[in-house]
Amino acid sequence: MSNKKEGGPELIVSRQILSIAQRFSTGPVMGRFLRELRDNKRIMANKCPKCGRHQLPPREVCALCSVEATEWEELGPEGAIRDYDIVYYSSPDPLTGETRETPYVLCWAQLDRTQGDAPLWHLLNAPDLSKVRRGLRVRVVFSEERDGTMGDIKYFEIIE
Amino acid sequence: MKKKNRNVAIIGSGMSKFSSHREEVNQPELIHEAVVEALEDAHLTMDDVDCVLHGNMELFEMVHQPDMWHVLGTGAWGKPGVRLTTGGTTGATLACAADNLVASGLHDVVLAIGFEKLEEGHATGGITNMADPLWGRSLQTGALTGTAAQKLIEQFGEERAKNAAIKMRIIMDEHAMRNEKAHRRLRLDRKYMKQIATQTPPLVGELRMIHMCSQSDGACAVIFASEDKVAQLGANPAWVVDHETVHREETLIFNSGKSTHRVAAERLYARNGITDPIHQIDVFEMYDPSAWWGVDWLGDFLLCESDEHVKMVENDQIAIEGEFPLNPSGGVQASNPIGATALVRVAEAAMQVVARRANTRCRVM
Repeated sequence: MSNKKEGGPELIVSRQILSIAQRFSTGPVMGRFLRELRDNKRIMANKCPKCGRHQLPPREVCALCSVEATEWEELGPEGAIRDYDIVYYSSPDPLTGETRETPYVLCWAQLDRTQGDAPLWHLLNAPDLSKVRRGLRVRVVFSEERDGTMGDIKYFEIIE
Repeated sequence: MKKKNRNVAIIGSGMSKFSSHREEVNQPELIHEAVVEALEDAHLTMDDVDCVLHGNMELFEMVHQPDMWHVLGTGAWGKPGVRLTTGGTTGATLACAADNLVASGLHDVVLAIGFEKLEEGHATGGITNMADPLWGRSLQTGALTGTAAQKLIEQFGEERAKNAAIKMRIIMDEHAMRNEKAHRRLRLDRKYMKQIATQTPPLVGELRMIHMCSQSDGACAVIFASEDKVAQLGANPAWVVDHETVHREETLIFNSGKSTHRVAAERLYARNGITDPIHQIDVFEMYDPSAWWGVDWLGDFLLCESDEHVKMVENDQIAIEGEFPLNPSGGVQASNPIGATALVRVAEAAMQVVARRANTRCRVM
């Protein structure tokens, strides 16, 4: 591709595509969370021994108290929408490079039994966009084939 | 922060022209425009500069070690320097670091350079790659979200919130029309406020294309000097009084009390005797990535408790001629070369106080 200004020299623009394969270590805490999803279809959060707040996805240390969060509890699989985004802009999925189909809905759902503010972020299957609102009851739908990734949850579905 | 061995001032700044496409220059050439202008503004040459800071987000252009590739444009050849890369805050981090380097006594004159050439990469893809690779990456859509819009609509009602967002966008465009370096100068007309709001493609929820900041190419350079140097050079200083950096796990913990912005503002004001920010601050340069965030964050930064910030938009208080001018440059909604964007805020604020100075000592925070 070139950019030729009137009367000036041709200014060449070089076009390139970069593609990189990656692998990420999950560690013992996030690793346990992903293992529970894959093997037992359970959503496990860890809990701060000091403030009692759940962390989802789990992190090693309570972000507020700075103490190790070593207790684990199962949350959900039902919950309620705290926040949502109806996405119309078609951006590339960095995991596949494919352009995403739009519109799609993202939601942050506070699962039942969660202590504190720790909604889980995932896709919402919402055939009727006009029904999506805060407070809507939803449940986690697990994928048939699971491999220890966030794709082990297929999406949230609305409880009719 | 406010542990200074000596006072620090901004004594010059420069910016390239901001645009969606600067195909006629390569990266070092784009930076060179800003650096030359800053040196001229400060009446210095590169020989006077002790240290060069370079800031951008490598993942946008996918050019790594850019501080090395850009040496011909930055003038850093043979000089000490640091490369900073902290997302949208890169430019502000550059200013904080330059202030610290001079205040500590390590260097007398520091040149801070923020840069981005977003046409050469993919900004939304890059920002998406900042998300947690184990959970957020396949969900995130760059910096696009409609949650700020939802929050404002919930707080102030749909019509009032939507009107405030588009009004802010139009005011920012009116400011950009007066800034020949701004990228998007759209000549938006207040008469067509409703149409402007509805006839632009939706991005996420109530966030529409018109509300969102641009993807720009551009560079900004700012020169920081010690008080002794200011006196020696006879420079026209904008004193850097204080800065504050706050980290909180806000993306993962919802409603964990106050927003990061509010916490930062509270700490900064408390240290500097600011009890009534709306009346004590003369002009405010804010990082406003969208008109929705602009309205919401204005309330956070000014510690508003009810709807004062919405009223400030509604009654044109934030316009250049208003009592509390916000982003006279047109702000981020007009021009957004990401690694330079926050440094542009600092440069614009310094220019404002230097230009406004009578006999009083003006301050940049």
